Amino acid sequence: MEIILDVNQHKLSVDAPPGETLLSLLRRLGYFSVKHGCETGECGACTVLLDGKPVNSCMLLAVQTVGHTIETVENLGEHPDQGWKKVDEHGEALGLHPIQQAFVENGAIQCGYCTPAQILAAKALLDENPSPSEVQVRQALAGVLCRCTGYVKPVQAVLRAAAVMRGEKIDPLEPILAPKDWLDSTFNPITPSMESLQTSDSPLTQAQVFTQKPTARDASQWQQVGKPEKKVDAIKLVQGKPAFAADIELRGMLVAKVLHSPHPHALIRRIDASQARSLPGVAAVLTWQDIPRVVYSTAGQSHPIPGPLDTFSLDRKVRFVGDRVAFVAAESAEIAEQALALIDVEYELLPALFDPTQSMQPGAPCLHDEPEFVNFADSDPTRNLAAHIRIDIGDVEKGFAEADHIFEADYEVPKVQQAHIEPHVVVTYWDEDDRLVIRTSTQVPFHARRILAPVLDLPVKRIRVIKPRIGGGFGGKQEVMIEDVAAHLTIATGRPVIYEYTREEEFIAARSRHPMLIRMKTGVKKDGTITANSMDVLTDTGAYGCHALTVTGNTGHKAMALYVGDGPYRDHPNIRFYADIVYTNHPPAGAYRGYGVPQGFWAVERHMEKIARALHLDPLEFRLKNALRAGELQPFSTAWSEGRAPRPETIQTCGLEDCVRQGKAAIGWDQKFTYPDWHVVRDERDQIIPYLRRGIGVAMVMQGTAIPYLDMGGASIKMNDDGSFNLLVGATDLGTGSDTVLAQMAAEVLGVGLDDVITYSSDTDFTPFDKGAYASSTTYISGAAVVKAAQQVAERIRIRAARMITETTEGHPVYAQDLHLVDGKTIAPDGRYVTLSQVALDALHQQDQEQIMAVASFMSPVSPPPFAAQFAEVTVDIQTGSVVVDHLVMAVDSGVIVNPLTASGQIEGGMTQALGYAVCEEMRYDAHGQPRERSFADYHIFEADEMPELTTLFVETFEPSHPFGVKAAAEIPMDGVAPAVANAVQDACGASVDDNPLLPEKVWRALQKIG
Amino acid sequence: MILEYHRPQSLQQALELIARSSPTTVPLGGGTILNRPSSQAFAVVDLQALAAQPGSLLGQLKLSGSSMTIGAAVRLQNLLEWDAFPIFLKNVLKYEGSHNLRQIATLGGTLVAADGHSGFAAAMLALDPILTVQRINQQAQEISYGELLALRQQTMTGLLILSMDIAAQPKFAYQSVSRTPADFPIIGAAVAVWPSGRTRVVLTGYGISPLLAVDGPEASGVDIAAREAYSHAEDEWASAGYRSTMAQTLVLRCLEKISNQTELRIDEIKGI
Repeated sequence: MEIILDVNQHKLSVDAPPGETLLSLLRRLGYFSVKHGCETGECGACTVLLDGKPVNSCMLLAVQTVGHTIETVENLGEHPDQGWKKVDEHGEALGLHPIQQAFVENGAIQCGYCTPAQILAAKALLDENPSPSEVQVRQALAGVLCRCTGYVKPVQAVLRAAAVMRGEKIDPLEPILAPKDWLDSTFNPITPSMESLQTSDSPLTQAQVFTQKPTARDASQWQQVGKPEKKVDAIKLVQGKPAFAADIELRGMLVAKVLHSPHPHALIRRIDASQARSLPGVAAVLTWQDIPRVVYSTAGQSHPIPGPLDTFSLDRKVRFVGDRVAFVAAESAEIAEQALALIDVEYELLPALFDPTQSMQPGAPCLHDEPEFVNFADSDPTRNLAAHIRIDIGDVEKGFAEADHIFEADYEVPKVQQAHIEPHVVVTYWDEDDRLVIRTSTQVPFHARRILAPVLDLPVKRIRVIKPRIGGGFGGKQEVMIEDVAAHLTIATGRPVIYEYTREEEFIAARSRHPMLIRMKTGVKKDGTITANSMDVLTDTGAYGCHALTVTGNTGHKAMALYVGDGPYRDHPNIRFYADIVYTNHPPAGAYRGYGVPQGFWAVERHMEKIARALHLDPLEFRLKNALRAGELQPFSTAWSEGRAPRPETIQTCGLEDCVRQGKAAIGWDQKFTYPDWHVVRDERDQIIPYLRRGIGVAMVMQGTAIPYLDMGGASIKMNDDGSFNLLVGATDLGTGSDTVLAQMAAEVLGVGLDDVITYSSDTDFTPFDKGAYASSTTYISGAAVVKAAQQVAERIRIRAARMITETTEGHPVYAQDLHLVDGKTIAPDGRYVTLSQVALDALHQQDQEQIMAVASFMSPVSPPPFAAQFAEVTVDIQTGSVVVDHLVMAVDSGVIVNPLTASGQIEGGMTQALGYAVCEEMRYDAHGQPRERSFADYHIFEADEMPELTTLFVETFEPSHPFGVKAAAEIPMDGVAPAVANAVQDACGASVDDNPLLPEKVWRALQKIG
Repeated sequence: MILEYHRPQSLQQALELIARSSPTTVPLGGGTILNRPSSQAFAVVDLQALAAQPGSLLGQLKLSGSSMTIGAAVRLQNLLEWDAFPIFLKNVLKYEGSHNLRQIATLGGTLVAADGHSGFAAAMLALDPILTVQRINQQAQEISYGELLALRQQTMTGLLILSMDIAAQPKFAYQSVSRTPADFPIIGAAVAVWPSGRTRVVLTGYGISPLLAVDGPEASGVDIAAREAYSHAEDEWASAGYRSTMAQTLVLRCLEKISNQTELRIDEIKGI
């Protein structure tokens, strides 16, 4: 039907079917700031303003909006610099809207996928209420789910924008230093309140980031590293520019859909796609009979993939509810859906296996009986064994014999989802050279190209993978999971194809965190010295073994490495880590931020808490007494390295003790933990509320920084005529801010401002190889590559500049090694200088012409661990078991922080994801393998108006293996929140819960046990 | 799949359209349920033009003495922002869908589509409001919300909800347990007590709709009745034992809150 829409003050006459949603129509019209995140209105990524109110455009028919005004982010500000054009069509000076500006300045953007929606929600609020409270801002943002930020900085950005729009003077953003008394070893036990740390004239408008001064020797001379710079991609993201994989229009593009299995385990006896193929508008239907049978692994890892090859694009057998049965490409999504319904499949149902404890039992159904299965290490498909780990360090039995106490307990962790707001999405097409272009939302573009080549029967050189902006990944996109679907269909049809998961597909068919059953056994002396520590793990990898070995290996490698014991046990720890990773007919697990470590620390930190309580030891002192320290060997480095030869590694830096000191001060541990009165909750009349109790808990954690002797990143830097630089990296910014911190490091070495480094990532045709965004490696590995490349470029600049200064100025000759690059100049010790643009023009046009450029790569022989102390404060309803988390504090040693704004955003977002792991997130299946969670209504992730207070503290050390002393930050916040919350619950009411999340019924049952 | 879209300008047109049997034709409030992807084919009748007409019952928000009249096409967020809407109901309503969904969702659609996890529907069922409904060629008639929920099991073809009236005599309290504050209730209890002693207890968190556990002449024993009412309320989200025990606990809490209310909730309804 013909309708007229009023979009951004423009009347648009368009033809829209009656059932077309406003989201679909707006994107069809090119308003790409409006994003798809779900189909049921829970995520809010598709927010537009309808008559000034924020609404979900996926929930509105386009025709419903006739007669109303629609506003999208495209209607707000513009980039302030557009050449000769200085004013917009209304005569207003160009520039961003104050809300957009505040989001840029405040670090409120990570992946940026939900940013346009948040900005519109904020605009609707501020248009009505120019002076909102923080509570009101949180309520206004509550309709837009964000998986990256933890909402701290978006809320602060809205408050900051409100102040700007009211005409108030706002201080520039600077990191807030931790109070001195937090840094001293004899700190004042009175905890400063958050309010006392904020400036009186701009409350809550400044980023709450506490940081020590960097301890690096020359940190005071740094101009870029350590500064809260704005993200290099922020301006385009606040404008909602078409930066993501789906934000592209190609002539004749088909829409792909996948028929998913309704059965957990079955053979496809017969499949008839003839009716589907004859449906008008259908371009192709592919079944297992139509494409090459190539076994591979979807795990986006380096070659050779450390896991079994057990997957086919399409197979005769389905192994979980949601497994692939057929692919369809059609002129529209609706036609493709109709075609799926016309595919006639006859299944032979097979016995299904859901209980991992039964997977290896004789007679259990065998999931992988295909002859093409390729083993890795000890995998054995006849026993449903995807991977197998046996690590013994020291003599564990001797350690147990030397102990005064033995503590044993069982723990369990659930399957959970990454839940990035941008679904998996890919666009494929043949380019003019008949090379297959794959534009995909991936964390691993280079791995994707390598893995897909044999699957598609194309050589690597005829595939180009483009990674545009990514709307969050968290490990979920370290998987080559959907690219083959679109690629097969493009090969079949010759036409461009887009394939985008629905939110339901994300829940039924994508990857997740591995669920595990964990048994701990620990020997402890009376004084609290750990003499031996043992962990046995049974991991459910689901139907396929992607990341099976490495995720569970990491569970031990990090979580079991932290507590080595004290005294002689420090040099000779006794640690055992055994694991079986088995197949079941559940959906496959995979990579998820933390990569096995949160599972391990759930068990380890719950176990340590119980030991400390049983032995009446201070939980902080007990942990620190046994914890790994600088100068000691990472114990697992002597025993295991992801299926490769281990190489011993000494810990160079460990700020754990400082993390504990600062973290406990921030949360007020000493005023709370041992004080019964604090554990009581009173109402506004100071009357005790009998059914509420407060508690406080802690967990200490460590992670790694990249995979030693394996992870490699490359960088290329090229100098332009004006003295600016193009930085090309294969590293994959999924919203973490890695493009920004890499640019900061380049700018630091090259002596220029951040806006003189134009960063591009990533494209397998143009950028150097990088293994991709995982293992908390980008700032460290890719950053070191950037520094190396920048140093080579700087050297060429110095040589040329020395000649130029000597030839064009009076005075002594100057030498390259004496020159400094700073403020866009190359400066001699006596003050003579040439600008970088002069150097560039000279190099490109005038004398001994050359392109000043360099390519470098970096691989690390070590994986320096970050450390952290994570604290939680909770209120427990002892009648119902409800747990409300009131405050989370994380003090973290991630080495030198290159950008406190982006890094603290990582910590806040990670804590928030981990909070879901603690109290509400899990994926459950019924007796037939049918998933309980199919939408964000079932799978609840935290909203802006229900968040606890979050506090981030950086305890900076200087890691000597990196030129700027950095270690990882991205994954470690996932590790300790859940056990800290559980430990706080135990502190509050005695309820000891050993399987997360801490659902009300679980806590209630634990309370019933203790009476 | 939505086959047809209509935006009638008169109530008569709307009633004629929704009385059709082919294609199946249903009233469209906000669309937060109907506009979701669906394999079913049907037509929708958008009520927005009718609600915007002066004096339309569908769009009304009116406080008359001690009772409220709320049009079926009123958006939930407008209700939340209405000064006269009682705080104790706002506290339930603010978790009914997200901030954005409440901008679209209507009262009528919410009442009709409510599942067993709706706190707001439980609150409404406890307060026992009267709905004004109409069919083609019939006078408008009044039915209770409980009757409407029962009708959902049979047929609502041709039925249009025009408005809801809440009498403001009862004291009211709502308590729930959920995974997080903004999550749907695993178990919730809504209790309304009238000056006469009449007590209605509604449970939510389980099944396809809120459950009226008690409608009796006094409050005594209603907690036991609530416990019994959810004694089989077992599903993938919670055990029956837990829900049953919590039903009693939450009802007792509601009664305590109600007993501490010194004034009738009419004061809150007036926005005082």
